[in-house]
Amino acid sequence: MFFFTIRRIVASVLVLLASSFLVFVLCAASFDPLAKYYSRNPQPPPEFFDQLRTQLGLDDNFFVRYWHWLSSALTGDFGQTIGGTAVTDQLWGRLWVTGRMIFFAVVIAVVLAILVGVVGAVRQYKPSDYAFTFLAYLLIALPTFWFAALLKEFVAGGINDAFGRQVLYTLGEESPGISSYGTPSEIFWDRLGHLVLPTICLALLSFAAWSRFQRSAMLDVLGSDYMRLARAKGLTYRRTVMKHGLRNALIPLTTVVALGIGTLFGGAIITEQVFVWHGMGEYLLKNGIGQNDINVVLGWLLISAVFVVLFNLVADVLYAVLDPRIRLA
Amino acid sequence: MKFSKRGAALVATGVAGAMVLSACGGGSSDSGSSGGGSGRVIVGESADFPENLFPLISAGNVTSVANIEAQLFPSAFDVKPDFSVEYNQDLLTEEPTLDVTDGVQTNVYTINPDAVWSDGEPITAEDFIFSWQLQRSSDPADGGCAALLNTTGYSSIASVEGSGDDDKTVTVTYTTPYADWQGLWSGSSNPVFPSHVLKAASPEAQCEATTAGWPIADGIPQDISGGPWQIKKDNIDVGSQIVTLTPNENWYGEPTGLAQLVIQNIGSDPTTAVQGIQNQEVGVIYPQPQLDLVGQVADLAPEVDSSISFGLSFEHLDFNTTDPLLADPVVRQAFGMALDRQEIVDQTVGQFSSDAQVLDNRIYVNNQPQYVDNAPDEYKTQNTAQAKSLLEGAGYVLGSDGIYAKDGQRLSFQIDTTANNPLRETTVNVMIPQLKEAGIEATFNANPDIFAGPEKPTSLIAGGFQIALFAWVASPFITSNESIYQQVTGDNVGQNYSRLGTPEIDALFDELVAQPDPDQAADLANQIDVLLWDQMATIPLYQKPTFLAWNSSTENVEDNASQSGPLWNSSTWTTSQ
Repeated sequence: MFFFTIRRIVASVLVLLASSFLVFVLCAASFDPLAKYYSRNPQPPPEFFDQLRTQLGLDDNFFVRYWHWLSSALTGDFGQTIGGTAVTDQLWGRLWVTGRMIFFAVVIAVVLAILVGVVGAVRQYKPSDYAFTFLAYLLIALPTFWFAALLKEFVAGGINDAFGRQVLYTLGEESPGISSYGTPSEIFWDRLGHLVLPTICLALLSFAAWSRFQRSAMLDVLGSDYMRLARAKGLTYRRTVMKHGLRNALIPLTTVVALGIGTLFGGAIITEQVFVWHGMGEYLLKNGIGQNDINVVLGWLLISAVFVVLFNLVADVLYAVLDPRIRLA
Repeated sequence: MKFSKRGAALVATGVAGAMVLSACGGGSSDSGSSGGGSGRVIVGESADFPENLFPLISAGNVTSVANIEAQLFPSAFDVKPDFSVEYNQDLLTEEPTLDVTDGVQTNVYTINPDAVWSDGEPITAEDFIFSWQLQRSSDPADGGCAALLNTTGYSSIASVEGSGDDDKTVTVTYTTPYADWQGLWSGSSNPVFPSHVLKAASPEAQCEATTAGWPIADGIPQDISGGPWQIKKDNIDVGSQIVTLTPNENWYGEPTGLAQLVIQNIGSDPTTAVQGIQNQEVGVIYPQPQLDLVGQVADLAPEVDSSISFGLSFEHLDFNTTDPLLADPVVRQAFGMALDRQEIVDQTVGQFSSDAQVLDNRIYVNNQPQYVDNAPDEYKTQNTAQAKSLLEGAGYVLGSDGIYAKDGQRLSFQIDTTANNPLRETTVNVMIPQLKEAGIEATFNANPDIFAGPEKPTSLIAGGFQIALFAWVASPFITSNESIYQQVTGDNVGQNYSRLGTPEIDALFDELVAQPDPDQAADLANQIDVLLWDQMATIPLYQKPTFLAWNSSTENVEDNASQSGPLWNSSTWTTSQ
């Protein structure tokens, strides 16, 4: 397992190198960080453009630019934004925001996906299965931005109207400045009120697809020989399903969930946008692509890719936990 | 029993996690709200959260900083909602004087004896001198700094001197007269800076400090302020993108009506802004106007008030006169006559407000006091017949496809504009059939490189376009128009993307730039616009609207669609909530 992990990490480093080079090529060819200054009126003086070109290294050879970035990145320095702020400083803050947003969503989505997937498989073609299938496909089909807008408009509006006060919030992580005047309990409920809708939005949309994987895997397992053998040996149906069926059926879901979580760390872009959480997705779109800032895009890419790789490794380890045959191999 | 223990552990972990995650956000702490009125108003800021708060450099010269610092530093003149320019009666005791004797311009400013910075230091001529020296040159060899976005005006000053009691009289002498002198030491992007806080030991150190600016995480040096509001470092929450302004305890004017003004970045999505104000999470929003959004906000009355204004930003067409077809003035004139600009206004900004008008001036917008309708009669309304006869008189022949041609060249043009801009797309789509009636073919092209640098062949500056639709921002300070309309010399097009000019226009601009009397300068500007209509290298279309909505419990909110922005009078806001 140790050497397996090392091999995976080495391969991942090569993937990261190749992807960073590819993204650097694309960004260097298409980004023009000076563009927004040409149309300013009055236009900045020539000295300004010269200074900015030098500062951003735009006069350097392409490979020299990439080497500068790479050699700094290896020491944990992702360079500066066009505005002169260290990308590394910004990335950790953004990552923390995204992490807080997705944590509960992932937990809820996984639990719901397993429950619904198992029930759907065990009670295949029963009304409950049809109901869950309908719900899952409905959620899969809903565009995220629309679902989020519905939550804001009707769930937040409805609950707040019902309570006659602000219970659920639609903007940001907390009411501005509440930490300066609120009691600890007020701050707690305020932040929870801000967390609910984005969590529900992410959880339900993730759960929908994951529950289908779980149902499918469970159906495969339920039809296998060892399940029949377990029943023939006298195990109860519940014990067979929980102990032998579910454990094996969790392996495919583990892969999907691990990849999903890794990707979510790159930013739940639309959810962040709609609920105004200033996380990784917004960082890529606004600060990176929106500002033609190559260092921001590459910093984002590297951190996001690290999480994808990391959660892939986590998935590999979980396979071993779930299936002793993998451990032995 | 075993299961219940696990369950209990899970629940406990979940609750603990919730508490940790809920409690561990980045947060602001001390709000320090003493010294002002009562209540707080949250402004939903649509512009990007700034990285830097220093307005003289690129990272800090952005809309969000202009709003945050709208009333933070002293300003000699302010632009009012009607675009008039008035001296700041808090900072100055009387209107600054203007004197031009023997071609030498002198202005005298008298500073309020009570005017002090937030740390109690008096605001004096020394601060004016420092602010001038800070911005007088971009050339490091001359003691300047290349990071400066603009040195216009300050580079024309020969001296700034202090005198009088407590150094409260400022005398400014120019090397050459300067028309926009009221724009210096004025506005949130160009105010009076505190010398005692910012002055460095040498020009090199000063330039280093200028280049670094004021990173937002560090706040403003020593939390200094010279206006009604103050930003304390502790009140900047970078993670949540929230800046809280509190009253400046040493403010020498009318106290603020609020105890806190909170500026929260809510992103540029107008729907988010409307839902935010509907849910009472923000009290004021200033989103890009969209038809459905304006309607949604109107439905929130009487809890929410709103206003539509027409700002200084205006849309126009630029003809590239190096194009073989557009080099012919007859073609440009026929193009102008073929357009029904009233219809374009009706189909675009006219949908927002019946106050929308056709813009007939390139220097001033309709609601500026100096605006004059300079458009010749033939361009005031659609004049298809005259356009056709003009083309036929110049040898163009109408083809079987309904498009004029001459020497095998059809009058077919591509109109470039920015991508993903529905207003501009509609504008072009309204133009196309109008032009077709006059035998001119036009197509829409969303050009992502339109504002790129010279290395992108289809950019405005590289000249790889035929006709471009984009906006310029007008100003009460008009000398900046010179770079748009002066003749091109060599490869340096400046911002004259039509690449056309005349010696007469240049001569009038020379006169205008050196005319410090505002009335005479306005007269010169309108003379220039008349010549620009003759030249017909650009066509003004309409002003763009701005949209401000606020919770009706907040009083005194009023849009200022100039560079002053919606928070220009935020110190006078009060709230009953």
